[in-house]
Amino acid sequence: MAKTATIERAHGQPGPEESELIRRILAGERELYYALIEPYQRMTYLSALAVLRNEADAEDCAQEALLKGLRHLKDFRGESKFGSWLVRITLNEAKMKVRKLRPGQYESLDEADSEDSEYVPRILSDWREIPSEALERKEVREVLHNAMQRLPKIYREVFFLRDVQNQDIATTAQILDVTEMVVKTRLLRARLQMRDMIAPLLKQSNVFSRLLFRKGANPWR
Amino acid sequence: MALTCKELWSEVSNYIDGSVSAEIRDEIERHLAQCRHCTALIDGVHNVVVLVADGRTFELPTGFSERLRERLKLEVQHGSL
Repeated sequence: MAKTATIERAHGQPGPEESELIRRILAGERELYYALIEPYQRMTYLSALAVLRNEADAEDCAQEALLKGLRHLKDFRGESKFGSWLVRITLNEAKMKVRKLRPGQYESLDEADSEDSEYVPRILSDWREIPSEALERKEVREVLHNAMQRLPKIYREVFFLRDVQNQDIATTAQILDVTEMVVKTRLLRARLQMRDMIAPLLKQSNVFSRLLFRKGANPWR
Repeated sequence: MALTCKELWSEVSNYIDGSVSAEIRDEIERHLAQCRHCTALIDGVHNVVVLVADGRTFELPTGFSERLRERLKLEVQHGSL
């Protein structure tokens, strides 16, 4: 099978100006804080979304977390990337918000039982390459959003950090305070479950066949 | 000994990330050449990874940055931070 399996990933390294910005903000130029956090807005929002599963709550939470970042900036020691530090603040904020907003529906962190059990992927017929232009369609994005929301929390967090935000395994492990092996195990489970949920839905909705047949191609041969 | 389907499933993620050894990769690809279900599995997971990594799948809500700037401005002005 001739296939390039590796997915190129972007590893955003903090620029040399980041520590200078932090120094100036701490010295009193707090209006510079937006410039510091601007590259991390999406990352922060998505981290909140991974826990809260609701866009409005996620935005509110992400903004609270970013404000908290300013309040606690003096505590940032540079032991991790600044973005990872913000994500940890956001995840904590989001978990507190879940307890407050939906106390009866809080998802336990203890989902190890399902994690340890063997996952058998569904047998599905071929699902060939999907064109990225499909993402222009709202229904395709909704299928992906809904599937993500149905992932158990421990898998959703890893999946969001690694696959949606392109964090590497080591950074994901550091943010979640788990081992790299745990990240890999949860990531595998998350990806398999996402595939099992998405493939039949997209085939059923015929989204891609409509898109591709229009162009004279058949995605499933 | 040839790789079984079950053994391959445990390596799907590592294979897609390109983090398996050359030996395991060759074994996986030999298996895929003759197993339609595992090929569909790898293709499906690969598609998921590509689709969710695309910035259009999970976008910032419209106006997020403007609302954040406004909120920061107010909080900084009122000295509550």
